[in-house]
Amino acid sequence: MGKTCVCGAEELQVDTKAKKFTAPDGTVVAEGDVISIDGSTGKVWLGEVPVEPSSVVRYFEGEIDPDSDDADDLVRSVHRILTHADEVRRLDVRTNADTPEDSARARRFGARGIGLCRTEHMFLGDRRQLVEKLILADGDEERQAALDALEPLQKQDFLEIFEAMDGLPVTVRLLDPPLHEFLPDLTELSVRVALAEERGEPDEGSLRLLAAVRGMHESNPMLGLRGVRLGLVVPGLFAMQVRAIAEAACERRKAGGDPRPEIMIPLVGAVQELEAIREESERVLADVCQEEGVQIEALIGTMIEVPRAALTAGEIAEYAEFFSFGTNDLTQMTWGFSRDDVEAAFFHQYLDKGIFGISPFESLDREGVGRLVQIGAEAGRAARPDLKLGICGEHGGDPDSVHFFHAVGLDYVSCSPFRVPVARLEAGRAALGGDRAGS
Amino acid sequence: MAGTKWIYDFTEGSKDQKDLLGGKGANLAEMTNLGLPVPPGFTITTDACRYYLEHGGTPPELDAQVTEYLAALQEAMGKTLGDPADPLLVSVRSGAAASMPGMMETVLNVGLNDESVQGLAQQSGSERFAWDSYRRLIQMFGKTVLDIDGEHFDEALDAAKAEQGTELDLDLDAEHLKDVVDRFKAIVREHTGTDFPQDPREQMDMAINAVFDSWNSDRAIIYRRRERIPSDAGTAVNVCAMVFGNLGADSGTGVAFTRDPGSGAQGVYGDYLQNAQGEDVVAGIRNTVPLADLDDIDHDAYDELMTTMARLESHYRDLCDIEFTIERNKLWMLQTRVGKRTAAAAFVIATQLVDEGLIDMDEAVRRVTGDQLAQLMFPRFVSGGDATQLTQGMNASPGAAVGKAVFSSEEAVRWADRGEQVVLVRRETNPDDLSGMIAAQGC
Repeated sequence: MGKTCVCGAEELQVDTKAKKFTAPDGTVVAEGDVISIDGSTGKVWLGEVPVEPSSVVRYFEGEIDPDSDDADDLVRSVHRILTHADEVRRLDVRTNADTPEDSARARRFGARGIGLCRTEHMFLGDRRQLVEKLILADGDEERQAALDALEPLQKQDFLEIFEAMDGLPVTVRLLDPPLHEFLPDLTELSVRVALAEERGEPDEGSLRLLAAVRGMHESNPMLGLRGVRLGLVVPGLFAMQVRAIAEAACERRKAGGDPRPEIMIPLVGAVQELEAIREESERVLADVCQEEGVQIEALIGTMIEVPRAALTAGEIAEYAEFFSFGTNDLTQMTWGFSRDDVEAAFFHQYLDKGIFGISPFESLDREGVGRLVQIGAEAGRAARPDLKLGICGEHGGDPDSVHFFHAVGLDYVSCSPFRVPVARLEAGRAALGGDRAGS
Repeated sequence: MAGTKWIYDFTEGSKDQKDLLGGKGANLAEMTNLGLPVPPGFTITTDACRYYLEHGGTPPELDAQVTEYLAALQEAMGKTLGDPADPLLVSVRSGAAASMPGMMETVLNVGLNDESVQGLAQQSGSERFAWDSYRRLIQMFGKTVLDIDGEHFDEALDAAKAEQGTELDLDLDAEHLKDVVDRFKAIVREHTGTDFPQDPREQMDMAINAVFDSWNSDRAIIYRRRERIPSDAGTAVNVCAMVFGNLGADSGTGVAFTRDPGSGAQGVYGDYLQNAQGEDVVAGIRNTVPLADLDDIDHDAYDELMTTMARLESHYRDLCDIEFTIERNKLWMLQTRVGKRTAAAAFVIATQLVDEGLIDMDEAVRRVTGDQLAQLMFPRFVSGGDATQLTQGMNASPGAAVGKAVFSSEEAVRWADRGEQVVLVRRETNPDDLSGMIAAQGC
């Protein structure tokens, strides 16, 4: 079952009724005491023991050469089997990474590019204030000033990621979450303002922020103002991001690098949305190339994560050079599940009642969500035969789902760095007709 | 469904009939047809189980077919089920197509009752053995067929041992065990309102139905869902002549692997327990000796076992695990299957088999899984630090788990639902702990 387990610890006197056990040295461990167990050696400790990476991870990190004496039988076997899986697989494996560190690690683990580089993480921390300024901007001038301040920071992020993934595609997703996610919590802010007013010292900035937070409050943010909708509603936002991508790529090119940016528009449901953003993005790309005197190619494509996008994939493909199926959102919207609300609330009951054997967020629901992926892939390819097809939901690292993506003819899966070796192996097994369970 | 064949003799099946005969039944048939020493027996098909689950009862022809195959088995053994003078005893064991270890039920020594226990004592020349076998039957039957909480039997047995000032089953003599049988029968009466069934055929039929019912036990359902085993596959039932590992020092029982299921290393791996019956080894109740020691205990049986294992591994082209019994120096194979192994062993064995020319690299890739690779990427403990080592147990499943100790499956689930990381601590784990094991970081 794969659960860490130690058994045959005869020296321990276990009293399940009194909820305690006694070690040979007289130590009594009661319910709630932290213990550490090592399923590989059978050792049991009181307290928390620090952990280190396994030899297989050290091999993936490049710290163990599989042909050297440092490699044990296991590392050599893993190396041979993964090498063969790489030879036979048709699916490419990319990674979901937002930082240079993750990008570099995923590359060491065998990722052939980034399938999802989210940009929202680049708006957090100190930069949150700049986002606040953007949101609170009064007029075009203030807004542009806020964007201009964000742009060089974004560019720096992309520079480092392009460097880590030099020569390999990096799919950058333009801003996806609703802007109010970058603002303080409504309740917290309300209390702060109320307290300030009670003291008779209302602060103008907080009042303005509160008004903005109230104004932007959404009862269902997942279906609200986010993704491409933001790009269309907040002037200059996506243009700033595209400019940062283009400038970073130009700079890498000038430095002798080989950046391969791909610009991905999230949450598209209608071809018109994509068409508008595409035009803007192409204009910015051309401007930057001219300013920098460097020619860069950047594919422009879209996430397919709204059911309508999958159903109208043929039209959308006319304006997209690639599709990346965002199976997390596609699952939410196909089932009508808000993941944050449903998983903890009643999924265990659904599992108990056998409504599904495994959460559709964990392993792709082939019949429903998978059907939409298939429709989208087929219609997209029919409209544009050289359309690149990938998937960047968490399902990209799930063995069973990888087999499905192989079967419906996607070009690549993208998953978190630590799942990259798993996806490589399963892509090979899928090509060889192996099943999930092994033989 | 008139004319449907619901039962196959071990001589009639093969390893390719897993869907119909279950994994255990198909492999018993395969070994039988390879000429390996398997006690005679027959397999009731998964079709019969499906019929039972759909209709709430066995197919009408099953009763007559059981009678027919039982008659053949009695003839092969030269004994009659439950005969007061010299009883044939059988084991009734489940076996689904997909491996569901520990999920389903086994009842040994079916055919013993207040009379035939005397016959067994005479025939075996050991009164202690006969009464020990009888108490095992009531215990297993009570737990798995009559659904009585096993702790009641464990406590009664512990009490009997405590009265004799011992912790070992072997220190109980025939008289003590007669007393344990009485206590066990009282437990059955207390919890079911009826006496332990004395009719051997009734015992057998009840055990068969209990196997069918156990397909839909809560823990089997959880396991299937988790492992994605179809819920309508059903299980087969194997009825097999008993052989005894608890007849004395020249008998015993063991489990063996054709390679180390922990690391994949080649060599002799397994455990042997002298003078014991199967569940003693699996349950880890008594301390076993390494399989290699069998060479000194019973050289001929050891040699035959080694030859048999080599034959099985090249026949199955994979690591096999085996359950065997030695009854008065005679080796009997009770089960084999392509063995479970740790994630590390899966990788190592796959490439070993390539190097031995048994499989190619394509097959090696098919034989390991992404889930196994993910396990190999778990971090491991750094030795030292502030924590104090409490004990050294056996390495059952790799990984490094840290969490708060909890002592029941229910608590593990409750704490985990609160977002706590827990380690489940049990005296012995049994299948009822499954939901807690899933909820815990480790156990």
